[in-house]
Amino acid sequence: MAIAALITWVITAIGGFVMLGTWISRGGHRPGSDTRLAPGLVFTHFALAAIGLVLWIVYVVVHNTVLAWVAFVLLVPAALLGFAMLARWIPARRTGTVESRFPVPVVIGHGLFAATTLVLALLAALGMGGS
Amino acid sequence: MNPMNQAKQPVTVLAGRYGHPLHPALVAVPIGAWVASFVFDIASHLVSDPGFLAQGSRWLIAVGVLGALAAALVGFLDLFAIPPGTRAFRIGLLHMSINLAVTVAYAIGFLIRDGAGRGPVSWGQLALSAVALAALGVSGYLGGELAYHYGVRVADEATQARGYIREEKV
Repeated sequence: MAIAALITWVITAIGGFVMLGTWISRGGHRPGSDTRLAPGLVFTHFALAAIGLVLWIVYVVVHNTVLAWVAFVLLVPAALLGFAMLARWIPARRTGTVESRFPVPVVIGHGLFAATTLVLALLAALGMGGS
Repeated sequence: MNPMNQAKQPVTVLAGRYGHPLHPALVAVPIGAWVASFVFDIASHLVSDPGFLAQGSRWLIAVGVLGALAAALVGFLDLFAIPPGTRAFRIGLLHMSINLAVTVAYAIGFLIRDGAGRGPVSWGQLALSAVALAALGVSGYLGGELAYHYGVRVADEATQARGYIREEKV
């Protein structure tokens, strides 16, 4: 279960990097950008999910349950921020803003894999399905 | 903003303030840990009870992998600061790819050293570390080129010049 969560987590991260790269290279992080995604929202989401992923990798190796819970707890606010960004992205989709350039399959895939990761991480932290 | 100045600005304060990038500070951790791990590998063939060196080397590999992941997080942010389609961006992509490959190689090295016992580090494991360390040298060179040659995340010259104004003695 922990390995399955790791795999979905990494796939989610790749999708996130695609969107982050698109957003930054088009100046979404710069003042005066037309983006509806606040930089604080984007970078906090990135930092929480990335630190969580690193902790999850350590958990997979050392099997310390506390680490799994810390990583999961980081993932919850990351997911909430993700939902907040999704809510802002949906109406911005046809407006020509920076985030309207995100490929739709990447957005959907990122969300689905993230939700799967959240469930798998919880099950692993609860000790279900072995490692 | 021109493309060069764009690459000098942090995309977020998470990547370090202007003129104080976090990535070059964090890379000291994996470089130091992996070099020390390699010294331990070689030393394990030179001493009479090599077990502690083999185990220490495995720990250093793990420290290096974690340090590399932390450095990668902020490294990605600096890569995104470079305008795409430029030579600097291409070097950045190569630098990133080699570093990710090196980190994977060390992660594999860590796993295959499971159960490092009382003997010296095997020659195969030592060779994997040697190859990874050599690749790290190449990507480190590219990282140096980005910073010292193209000035990615380096303060602009007007800012630099302020450090050379002779101060009046009081």
